[in-house]
Order: sequence, then C-alpha cells, then structure tokens
Amino acid sequence: MTRLREIARLLAGILRELSDESAYQRHLERHGRPHSAGEWRRFSEARLREKYSRPKCC
Amino acid sequence: MKRVLAHVGWAAVALMAAACLAGIALNRGEPINGIWLLLAASCMYVLGFRFYGKFIAARVMALNDQRATPAERLRDGIDFEPTNKWILLGHHFAAIAGPGPLVGPVLAAQFGYLPGTLWIILGAVLGGAVQDFVILFASMRRDGKSLGQMAREEIGRVGGFTALLTVLLIMIILLAVVALVVVNALKGSPWGTFTIVATMPIAVFMGLYLRYWRPGKVRECSVIGFVLVMASIFVGQAVSQSAALAPWFTLSGMALAIAIIVYGFLASALPVWLLLAPRGYLSTFVKLGVLLLLAAGILIVRPQLQLPAFTRFVDGSGPIFAGKIFPFCFITIACGAISGFHSLISSGTTPKMIAKEWHAWPVGYGSMLLESFVAVMAMIAASVMQPGVFFAVNSPAGIVGTTPAAASATITAWGFPVTPAEMQTLARSVGEQSLFYRTGGAPSLALGMAHIFARGGGQALVGFWYHFAIMFEALFILTILDAGTRVGRFMLQDLLGHVWPPLGRTSWMPGVIGFSAAIVAAWGYFLCQGVRDPLGGINSLWPLFGIANQLLAAIALCVATTILIKMHNARYLWITSIPLAWLLLVTFTAAWQKIFSPIPAIGFLAQADKLESALRSGAIAASKAVETRALIFNARLDAALCGVFLVLVATILIDSVRVWAGILRGRRESAVCEAPFVLSQLRAEEL
Repeated sequence: MTRLREIARLLAGILRELSDESAYQRHLERHGRPHSAGEWRRFSEARLREKYSRPKCC
Repeated sequence: MKRVLAHVGWAAVALMAAACLAGIALNRGEPINGIWLLLAASCMYVLGFRFYGKFIAARVMALNDQRATPAERLRDGIDFEPTNKWILLGHHFAAIAGPGPLVGPVLAAQFGYLPGTLWIILGAVLGGAVQDFVILFASMRRDGKSLGQMAREEIGRVGGFTALLTVLLIMIILLAVVALVVVNALKGSPWGTFTIVATMPIAVFMGLYLRYWRPGKVRECSVIGFVLVMASIFVGQAVSQSAALAPWFTLSGMALAIAIIVYGFLASALPVWLLLAPRGYLSTFVKLGVLLLLAAGILIVRPQLQLPAFTRFVDGSGPIFAGKIFPFCFITIACGAISGFHSLISSGTTPKMIAKEWHAWPVGYGSMLLESFVAVMAMIAASVMQPGVFFAVNSPAGIVGTTPAAASATITAWGFPVTPAEMQTLARSVGEQSLFYRTGGAPSLALGMAHIFARGGGQALVGFWYHFAIMFEALFILTILDAGTRVGRFMLQDLLGHVWPPLGRTSWMPGVIGFSAAIVAAWGYFLCQGVRDPLGGINSLWPLFGIANQLLAAIALCVATTILIKMHNARYLWITSIPLAWLLLVTFTAAWQKIFSPIPAIGFLAQADKLESALRSGAIAASKAVETRALIFNARLDAALCGVFLVLVATILIDSVRVWAGILRGRRESAVCEAPFVLSQLRAEEL
C-alpha cells in the first residue's frame, strides 16, 4: 500500500513538473508572493518564452 | 550469499535475453508472438543499463555525488532546480519522445520485423543511450551548456558554427517530413480532418482558460481539453457521415499542405500562450497516456506478428522507400535507436535539473532505453497487420498502380495476398473511404494500434480507436511543427544577427513576420514537393531526414569523443568512437547512394536524369512538362541538400580529428573545460 502511494505521488510529481505547476510553485516561493492571475501571467510568459526557444525532439 | 544470488539472477536475465533474441532471430515461416520482442528488448535494456551504463558512469565519467551539480550551485528556482530523479526521468523522456520512434520502425518494417528490431535494441544500448548519457554528463559538468557551446569550446569555432547551421537545416527537413506524415494521414479523411481541426479551437479555449479564467490550473485545463478532444472524435464520425458536412472536411493532399503551412505561420507568429502552450501541455499528457495504453494493450492482447522476419525487399526494391537493408534500415530508424536531436535535449533543460551526479545514469541512459522500448512497440503494432494490407496502405500509387485492383494485383504478385474487397471492408470498419496509398507510416501505425486496442475493448470500437490513434499522432506532430517553426525562426535570427544585430531581435514585429514566413516557406516547399511526388514523397524526404538526424548524432559523438579523450586519452575512446564510426559509415554510404546511385528510385541525380531524358524524347505528355521540370529541379535540390549535410559533418569531423590527434600526440592542451569542484550540501531527503 505504501509502495502504491509512493508510485502515485511520483506520477503526480511528474504531471506537476510537465504542467509547469511545480515551477510556478517554486516561482511563488522564491519571490514570496501569493498566487494571482497577474503573477501566473508573469511567470508563464517568461517560462514559455524560454521553453519555446529550444528545439523539440523528433 | 546475497552476492551469489545476484550473480544467478543476472545470469538468468542474460540467458532469457539470449533465448528471446535467438527465438525471434531463428524463427522462420510461423508467426511469432509480439511478447517475445518485448521480452528480448526488456532483458537487453536491463543488462545494458546495469552493466554498460553503470560501467560508463563509474569508470569513465567517475560520477560523484559529493560534487555539487549546476542545479545546486546555480539554483534559481527557474531553470536551475534540483529535481527528484524519477520526476526528472519522466520529464526528460517526455521531451525526447517524438513521432520519430513511432513512424521510423513502421517504415522500416518493409524489410520485415527482425532487422529493425535488432537495430532498435542494439543501437539504443550501445549507441543512442551512450550518446544521450555522455552529452548529459558533459553538459552537467559545464553548467548546463548547450551542444553548440560545447562544440565551440571543446573543438573550435568552426565546429560550433557548423553545428548551429546543421541543426537549422535538419529542422527544416524534419518539419517538412512530419507535416507530410500528417497530410498523408488526413487526405480524403473527413473524420480525421475534423478531429484535428477541432483541436485548434480547443487549444485556443484552453489558452484563454489558463490566462483569464483559471490561471495556473494546467492539469485541470488539460483534463477539460482531453475530454473535448475525445468528444471531437465522436463528432468527427457524425461529420464524416453527413452529406452536407463531409465535403468540407474531405481535402486533397495539396489543400491540406496549404492549410498546415498557414497554420504553421500563424502558430509561430501568434502569442505562445494562445495556441502553442496549451496544445503542448495537452499533447504531452496524451502522448504519455497513449504510450502507457499501448504497452498495456500489447501485454494484455499478446498479438501475433503477421509480417515475416525478413521480406524480399531487403534487396533494395522496397515500395515504401528504395534502398538495401544496409544502409537504409539504419537511417530510417533514427529516434528509436540513436537520434542526434536527443543531444539537444540532453544539453538543454535536463542538465540544469539534476540534483546528484549519479542521477544522470537513469535519466540520460535510462530514458533512451524507454524511447527504444516505444520503438519496439511501434514495430509490433506495424507487424500485427497482414503483410498485404501493410503494403497496400504504405505503398505509393506510382509504384503499385493507380487503381485498387492494380495495386492489389502488384502486392499479391510480391507474395503478399490482398484484395480490393478486403481493403474496402477494412476501410469501412474504420470509417474511411479508402486505405490505399496512405504512405507515411501514421495510418498503418493507427491501424495496428486500433487492432490491439479493439481486441482489448470490443471490435465495434475499431473506427474510434483508429481515429483516436490518428488524433494522437497528428496532435503531437503538429505540436512539433508549430514549436519547431518558432525555434527555426529564433535560430535563423541568431545566425543573421551576427550579420546585422537588429535582425537578431526576436521581439521585433517585422522580424517575427519575415523570419516566420521564411522558415514556413522553407519547410513548406519541401512539404509541397513531397505531396506532388508520384512516389509519395516519403521515399525521398524520410531518408533525407534520417541522414540529417544521424549526422547530428555524429556531431554529438564527435563532441563526446573529444571530451573522453581529454579526460582519459585513448583509454575509453572506443565507447563513443565505435558508434561514431558506425554512424559515419551508415550515413555517408546512404548519402552517397542518395546522390549518386545510378538507380533512379534511389539516386536523386539518376532520377533527375531519367526524367530529363523522358522529357527530351517526348515520352512525357506536354501537359505534364511543367510538373516534370519541377520534379527534376526538386531531385537536384535534394541531392544538393544531401551534399551540404555531408560537407558540414565532414568539416566537424576533420576539425575534431585534428583536435584528437593533437591531444593524443601531446601537441595540444588536453584540459577539460569543466566547472570547478564544489562540495555538495544537498541531502537526498530534500528532494
């Protein structure tokens, strides 16, 4: 049961990382700001600019 | 006692690998179960990971968890962030898994399932995973530097510039070829076209949802997007059966090509949050979900392989692409065995997120083995079809005949029986008007996947599963297309910014429009060339892409070899130089044959000469003269492009050999350009 819970936690972690939600959380913690629409937009614009300037794999 | 048991366990895995490989290699005449391929691959991966990968990690790289990684030293919470190794493995795998490992094996199945499968397994264990791992390690020890930066520092300025130019040219060919795969999958298919068109407003809706309604809720938004996409597959079926709506979505190859070119331009020029990003999130989740579903489907259904181990086309007379098993099998399957593009990912985000040096072993080496596993699954999905059906779907009209009767007769004469009635029944069962001449690999992969999924979940749903698979392939191919166009624009601006600095400004609107148009025009030209090609386009474009991708791998291996020589002199040179030598042999042979082979089906120049002679002798009708002249020009252009790839890689190789010889003879400084050692303060429980 503990093992299953660990796997579920891991899968959720991968999904959070892929969806940039972990990175957003880190961004909020780093700047000590609460979540808001404006904050997400600021984070998202910088994140996506960086993400979409690198080649995607074939 | 524990040690003895471990030795016995590993000996059992090795025996199992040998037995499975012998089973699939020596079996002739009888269909074998796909599970044998999965077992052989799994055992080889486990052995390769545990012994070869660990040997490289411990002896060659001397990975050291006491040494702080860039993620710890340069931690900024944005790019540099220590990440749990399994989460990072999932992240890295999602980044390297593209359409290549799915489409390449399907096309290479024309030689039979065996050559491609062996190349996928051995190529990944001894070449692909080594390349990804060494480049990841090198970048991690150099503060997350890119392949181009490392090439410039370790080899020289020529190497760095050539690497950038090569990547740009490869991107153009890659985008053209993946767009062609989508065009061939959707032409004359209202159901498929509607589903893909529907993903665009869905992506825009997701973009607005994320920006204005529920900012930051990416997973929630992706679930809604997924439900909408699934609904669009059901609506697509109704559209395909509607006399009023079906004609709107029944498009020719050229109409689809133009639509995709316009889409590529808009996606590159529009704000990223509106279309690219939501589509990218959705595509990543769908991709991982479908790969898991396919693995589960194969394990549950345990399908029999209908294709033989070898087909008669090993002699080079194949209808999907011309050329003998050597070298063409090894360039057709690139991403599942070794892919140059992975070196760009391994020197991109991943090295900046590694918490401990030993994590590079599962992330770099292990992720490539997973990618290879995906390629084996694609090979199984392609091989579960009757061979006659497989060749009817994948052969162009220019080879097998322009009517279903003629095509069936040609394919049956090859020894793979198929009838027009059989193909018609199959087409109806998946809601298509015809499945003949669907070159490109995507439709046959979708048929194979639908066959596996439907056996696990009811034959009545075979049409749904087919279009689900087409949606899955097209969704993430289009994601590569729009993101690739944007990246291509940045690269072009980066190159031209050296000539005149304002051209390098990525936010300058005339530049955005002009450079987006230039990149779209470049890949759009090759796409239209593929659509017009009577041999289906894949015959000329996929080998070009394969050659280009493998040449990029050769560049990465040149950088990796230089680093290993600087670290250990000639002692571990063989680890990267053997795969490098093999790739150079394969790609230079393939490129030479594609340019100079006297057989028109293989050599671009021979093809141009043949068409020119036919034009001069009047064998081609006057109404076809303009089209034929375009084909002649295209064949010469492809030959020239192939030549440019060879010259670029030869330049880097010569430059590298000069550096290697200097170091080995003691005439050149062999200092590695690694970041200095800093003691790690990071504890495992922090991750």
